[in-house]
Amino acid sequence: MQHMSVTDLFISLTSRIGLNYEFLVSGYEAQIWRDGFVTTLYLIAALIPVSLIAGVTFAACLTSGRLWLSVPVRAFVELTRNTPTLVQLMFSFLVLNNLVSNMVGGAQNNPLSPFFWVIAVVGLHIAALHAEAIRAGIEAVPASTVEAAQAIGFSRLQILRYVEIPLAFRASLPAIVNNLINLAKLTTIGNAIAVSEITYASIMVWTQRDNVVSLMIVILLFFSVINFVIARIGSWVERRLAVPGYGL
Amino acid sequence: MTTAALPQPVSHRVLRNLGILALPLIVLVWSLADPTLGQEVVEWIPYLASGFAMNVVIAVLAMALGTLVGALFGILELVPHRIVRYPVVAYVQVFRNAPHLVLIFATTYIFPFEIVVFGNYLPFPDWVKAVIGLAIPASAYVAEITRGAILSIPTTQWEAAKGLGFARSEALRWIILPQCLRRSLPPWMNVAASITMGTALASLVGVHELLHAATDASTAVRRLDFTIIAYLVVMAAFFLLCYPISRLTRRLEGRFKAA
Repeated sequence: MQHMSVTDLFISLTSRIGLNYEFLVSGYEAQIWRDGFVTTLYLIAALIPVSLIAGVTFAACLTSGRLWLSVPVRAFVELTRNTPTLVQLMFSFLVLNNLVSNMVGGAQNNPLSPFFWVIAVVGLHIAALHAEAIRAGIEAVPASTVEAAQAIGFSRLQILRYVEIPLAFRASLPAIVNNLINLAKLTTIGNAIAVSEITYASIMVWTQRDNVVSLMIVILLFFSVINFVIARIGSWVERRLAVPGYGL
Repeated sequence: MTTAALPQPVSHRVLRNLGILALPLIVLVWSLADPTLGQEVVEWIPYLASGFAMNVVIAVLAMALGTLVGALFGILELVPHRIVRYPVVAYVQVFRNAPHLVLIFATTYIFPFEIVVFGNYLPFPDWVKAVIGLAIPASAYVAEITRGAILSIPTTQWEAAKGLGFARSEALRWIILPQCLRRSLPPWMNVAASITMGTALASLVGVHELLHAATDASTAVRRLDFTIIAYLVVMAAFFLLCYPISRLTRRLEGRFKAA
């Protein structure tokens, strides 16, 4: 009787229902696939803070009441919301990246990787969505609250920092969590410029093994779990931050 | 700071309407300023337009299929029998959380390239697979919208209908669903815009659509300025299609909220 590891057991059990996970015992392809999952998680972990910081900055510009701040940001928000993110990514990678290369004197000197461009494009795209949600939250702060803050001598920036953002953040949290779920899904477009996230890694495996269905089941479960976790953390934060009696 | 509460000045409206035309204007002015570039653009526009037609076809068919299936699934999500409800809820949860690109890959690589119907081999082109790949998430979103809209109708209306002698299905058909239609229009339009933009993903599985056409054109011409302008045309096309939808959606949302 041969000794069976958990992986072997899993492979033999799933093969009985017609699924093929044999690549898991081949070191190389299994390694590529594992790295794919890690890259996707790494992208999500980097993108969440980037999108939030840029989103708050955009929202501050949109509500500043100064045209030279709000008009360019408004134009960017509308542009990024109404064009496909994949097109933005291809444009950035093929055009902006090329311009950067020309400026620093050749592609070999260009420090910007495809990974950077995915973070920049997806991060700013989701930031635009955050900004819209936060702006709506800021505009929902009662005028009397803002006037009270003005009356006790808060500057415009202080009102934003201590009055509007804390209230607006709570009001817009459900929308922000929704955007973060979209963010997790959007990381897959890195595929287009050869960032080896999970779909890219999976293509490498299934072109060798012809086991699309088996890999697809795991990918769908993976994203379901990630988005479930994001939604759970979101509702936990919502409960932690709730202001009793304020209705938020 | 008090200006925020006032109606937006005329200059904002002018800026917003100028904004719609900004991208096409940049393309136009640049083409006129550099005639050799302009000539290339004019030459490639029909090819790009044929690509964009494919985007529109994919989007319309995916939304039609997604809406039909989604409306049905939304109703089934509220059926009292667990044996019906659970599989539908699972479908909606999994595919709502799945990236569009993953679903397009799934349909492209899992479905055969031809199907046999009564002994005839019918081709199963990639663009049809992309339609199905986008119809799946569309149906999951529409199911959630339908379910939410039905639940938003007060229970008392169901009870009143029952009191008037309507069966459950009759009440749904004649009293509840007509009201849902109005409430679900703005979120449905959001889904439509998102699916329309998702059609660009089909380029990654080799469907001849706008982004694919632009990549073809820029590799054929091999000029950096042409590459830039080709992608600007792509952005302008999607923007001109999606921006009016999103403006209308926001207007409707505002009006329904006030009502």
